[in-house]
Amino acid sequence: MSKRVGIVGAGVTPFKGTWREKTYYELAQMATREAVKDAQVPIQDVDAAFYGIYNDIFERTAIPEHAIHGLLGMQNKFGIRITTGGATGAYTMSAAHAYLAAGRFKTALVLGVEKATDCFDFSSMSATPEVIKSIGWSGDSFFEQPIGWSASDSYAEVVLAYKDEHPEDLKPEITAQISAQLSQQVRDNVHAQRQFDQVTAEEVLNSRLVAYPFRELEICVYSEGAAALILAEEDTARAISKNTGNPVVWITGVGESNEHSFAGKNQKDMSRIMSDHDASHRAYGMAGIEDPTKSIQIVELHDAFVHQLEISMAEFGLAPLGNADSLIEENLMTPGGKYLVNPCGGLIYCGHAVGASNIMSAWSARNELIKRNLKTALLHGTGSTIAQYTACMILEHE
Amino acid sequence: MSAKKERVIPSEYIPEVGSHVETIDGQDYLITNDAMYTFYQRTKGEFSPFFLSMRDDKKLLGCKCSKCGLVRVPPFLTHCPDCNFAPTEMIEVEQVGVMNSTPPITYFATSLFQHMAPYGRGRVIFNGADTAMSVILYTTTGILVPGIITKGTEVKLIFKDNRIGEMTDVFCVPTTELTQEQVNKKGLQESEIDWESPVEPELPEVSDKDVADYNAALKEIKSIIEEMNANERARKDIAGWKRDILIKTMGGRFAISIDDGNIELEERELTSPDFVMVCENPRTLLDGLAYRGAITDSVINKKLWISKNMEFNTIFKLDRMARSVARSKKI
Repeated sequence: MSKRVGIVGAGVTPFKGTWREKTYYELAQMATREAVKDAQVPIQDVDAAFYGIYNDIFERTAIPEHAIHGLLGMQNKFGIRITTGGATGAYTMSAAHAYLAAGRFKTALVLGVEKATDCFDFSSMSATPEVIKSIGWSGDSFFEQPIGWSASDSYAEVVLAYKDEHPEDLKPEITAQISAQLSQQVRDNVHAQRQFDQVTAEEVLNSRLVAYPFRELEICVYSEGAAALILAEEDTARAISKNTGNPVVWITGVGESNEHSFAGKNQKDMSRIMSDHDASHRAYGMAGIEDPTKSIQIVELHDAFVHQLEISMAEFGLAPLGNADSLIEENLMTPGGKYLVNPCGGLIYCGHAVGASNIMSAWSARNELIKRNLKTALLHGTGSTIAQYTACMILEHE
Repeated sequence: MSAKKERVIPSEYIPEVGSHVETIDGQDYLITNDAMYTFYQRTKGEFSPFFLSMRDDKKLLGCKCSKCGLVRVPPFLTHCPDCNFAPTEMIEVEQVGVMNSTPPITYFATSLFQHMAPYGRGRVIFNGADTAMSVILYTTTGILVPGIITKGTEVKLIFKDNRIGEMTDVFCVPTTELTQEQVNKKGLQESEIDWESPVEPELPEVSDKDVADYNAALKEIKSIIEEMNANERARKDIAGWKRDILIKTMGGRFAISIDDGNIELEERELTSPDFVMVCENPRTLLDGLAYRGAITDSVINKKLWISKNMEFNTIFKLDRMARSVARSKKI
């Protein structure tokens, strides 16, 4: 029988557009120092390390985790890197959970780190185009990269296909309102890249169309930063909790799904994010959740784009597919509504330090569960081309 | 097969060796120009027949499962994973198909794709195929904007004149923009298509009020253009750029000339402009030039039409000039 696994410590660095003062070595150590301090566990007592680092090109090395393993005090111990696009952080937690649940280790460090904006386009003398170009190397290299595949156009494909089936949903005024709401929620996140970047729905609607139908203020921003968790199996987790006085937040459900990379019969249905549907429902099943609308209170959702946030919420079963706008129109996620969605500001306002993002979301979900004394949160990571990959987790606070 | 010798990485994108220091909170931090480059002789392996048949024979191939009969285009695999890896065989499919879903349009491309923006990239199910192939999408009617190509739009595969054995050898345009003969022709090439007859939007009848509005807007546009011309930052935005643009609005027509840092407005018709801009209300252009909303947005939202797709780049430069003037005022 598998062991129960919980979060007993967490730490996050500030997410910034660029960290000139730190390399990814130091960012990784900063988050780790915070996490072990939070768990009151010396790093020597951590059995294994799970690294979430998305893109070799960002870190400018092909095995980016090897250098930090010893620098974090993990030499001569198990260390493995996970990379699954945008879902890297969530998948890294999933991997660590599996090893702990299997009894291989008692404690594990889950570390996500990314240093994206060293990439620099010397023709425009700005970082963003080169960051986007670097992510562009993630597309299929035979058939899609050469014809201009990008993360934005790939997610836009899914959103437009959803709109083909549900033309009345994802109304611009609703996506704008969600973005404006997230910009308010980020105020309390001291680590956020855009903590003081509050915008109105009108400002969102007036922001530039970057890749149709996405506006500038509806897209996540690239960040640099790190986030770390200390996970432990049940007995160890309870002992650590007794020591720190902080409750354990248990990982009671885990689910993953990777769809087909290409569309058509027997392949990807472009109008759906089935990976979100399948992964979330697998996590519900493992956690024993029969009706997520009655159980889920907090959602820390990987909002690469606001439109995708809406579709993901529908795929999770928390809003009707085809009427995801009810999230706002029926006050499901407005302040005081049924679901608290991305209290950290999400990736659009806290920032998207890819490998670290979902781990930052777990840090936020854990904080909110404890602070608000709520019971259940859904954690989500999405990534790869056409929203192909998803990993979800159910976090529960006793 | 490439018509001209080109470098894998254009030299303008390669930085010089160098470094600089940024000071943050009194502390110096070193930043070094760098690159992580790897060159390839890339194997196309089992995909070789597909790319070679496009390049040399102007044919489109797929693979058909010997058991379930599913036809995949492009021919991604030699054995079908849905049928316990039953073998597939290569077959030719038609060069007309329909859009699997509405394609996104990339307007702001990275340095790799700036030369082909704006472009649609969507998935087409060609007749005879069951799966969708990603292709670049264009229109012959002018700028590519949302609504021209949507889910279900019938499109035709077009072969570039110079082909190198890559996916960039082909693109699609809506069949409604072609003659029936062109639609039926196998291996239709880009040079066989009329790219010089864009469909210009018709302007409604004008009233005296429209003319008065036009004259008032024109006066403001003139003033902004003069301001741009006097602004060093804005002039840099059009360094090395040369375009003659004819602007048609409901109340009248005028010309904007860009010439290596200079920009001028002239109240005259151009006989052979580089491209034509059409907007019912001249204030659409005025607002953009005055940095009250992007002109690129007006193009995407179909408030302003341009006759040549690739001139979106010029529109972007006009937006940058507007921003440069606005930023100079902030300082």
